[in-house]
Amino acid sequence: MIKQHYIISIILFFPLLLIQTTIVPFLAIDNVIPDLILILLVYYSITQGQIYGSVLGFIYGFLFDIITGSLLGSAMIAKTLAGFTAGYFSSENKKDQYLVSYNFALIVLLCSFVDSTVNAFFSSINFTTNIFMIFFQHALLPSIYTASIALMGMIFYPKRKMF
Amino acid sequence: MIRFFVSAWENFKEYIVLVILLITSLILLSQNSSQGIQKVRSIAFGTFASVTSIFTDIFNVSNLKNENENLRRTNAEMMLHLSRLREYGIVNEDLKSLLALKDSSNFPLIPATIVSKSLTKSQGTITVNAGRNQGVKVGMPVITDKGLLGIIYNTSDNYSIARTLNNVDLKVTVKSERTRENAVMKWNGDWLVMVNVPKTYDLKKGDRIVTSEISSIIPFPLPVGVVYEIGNVEKGIFNEVKVQPFIDFQKVENLFILGIVKSKEIDNIEFNFLNKQ
Repeated sequence: MIKQHYIISIILFFPLLLIQTTIVPFLAIDNVIPDLILILLVYYSITQGQIYGSVLGFIYGFLFDIITGSLLGSAMIAKTLAGFTAGYFSSENKKDQYLVSYNFALIVLLCSFVDSTVNAFFSSINFTTNIFMIFFQHALLPSIYTASIALMGMIFYPKRKMF
Repeated sequence: MIRFFVSAWENFKEYIVLVILLITSLILLSQNSSQGIQKVRSIAFGTFASVTSIFTDIFNVSNLKNENENLRRTNAEMMLHLSRLREYGIVNEDLKSLLALKDSSNFPLIPATIVSKSLTKSQGTITVNAGRNQGVKVGMPVITDKGLLGIIYNTSDNYSIARTLNNVDLKVTVKSERTRENAVMKWNGDWLVMVNVPKTYDLKKGDRIVTSEISSIIPFPLPVGVVYEIGNVEKGIFNEVKVQPFIDFQKVENLFILGIVKSKEIDNIEFNFLNKQ
């Protein structure tokens, strides 16, 4: 029987994508927007493990690519790698420690950096410009923005388990 | 042998799963333009967009008052322009009939509203609430009152996805309105740039850039933006020119789809011409 949280993690994707594509564009700072889907992916990867994180990243990426019309496969690879990276922090003993606000934000920062770097690579951006500037603008800035939103979210994270 | 596989799975299952998922993604990456994928895509975004449109409608009600005010002002300005253009139109009609030129200015406009945006740094796309049932086809230009916004990329019955100008996969042939010089314009992740512009071109900061008649997508001039900066590439004979678009992609909500697609007749003539060479 499929576990309940497997279904919930997929269902939660849709309202989050709705917010990501309707409200989040209003929060854009110079075209840099936070990635709410990645925050959910990191949360599930930490709580459920590395394999679960990779598979969930793959599914989220597929749904994102197919619904938003972006290059099919680009978000799949990016989110799979991000889920895999977040899964490193899914140790049974330290799980609760990693879900504390600033630790969680740091993991989101790392995973978002992986996700944005892969996305930047697939966007065939002009490499005549400084490669460090490309990483700064296309990978680091979105990662910091996403991590800040994660930090704010985790402040309100309930101490009691919801799902 | 079986024991070897079992122990390999036990030790490296995370990596094995990762590699399988990455290979699957790469296979799908190479299948982007296949008919099957396009069909799945149109069903998926059509279904999702129908939910998003309800959400967007609720959200947009608060903006309607401001928009109405702006539209009233634009209407008044348009009225002033119109009276002047009417005069030009009459003269133009007379001259055209004298020269026996075909009229190419009456194109149907399909009104639409954006229901969702995917504003990544390099792959900007929008979903709009007009689709095949409203006469939208792949390749039609998407415009606002300020100029060109993008091109329709995929359609479902009631919704369409368009690539905006800030999408690295969209390249448009443009020209300077003043000097009439053509170049290819694309999004480089940060700016709209006209690439491979010969250094001999007489472009200046502030020149208006419009789509070119030689474009395979938009066969008549639509405003795009103004020249913001002319690069100074030391080597070679080409420059890069940054263009500041007229449209703010983050703020746009309502738009029109221009009911034209490139004529197949023109395509066939060009194809036959190339074949004969």
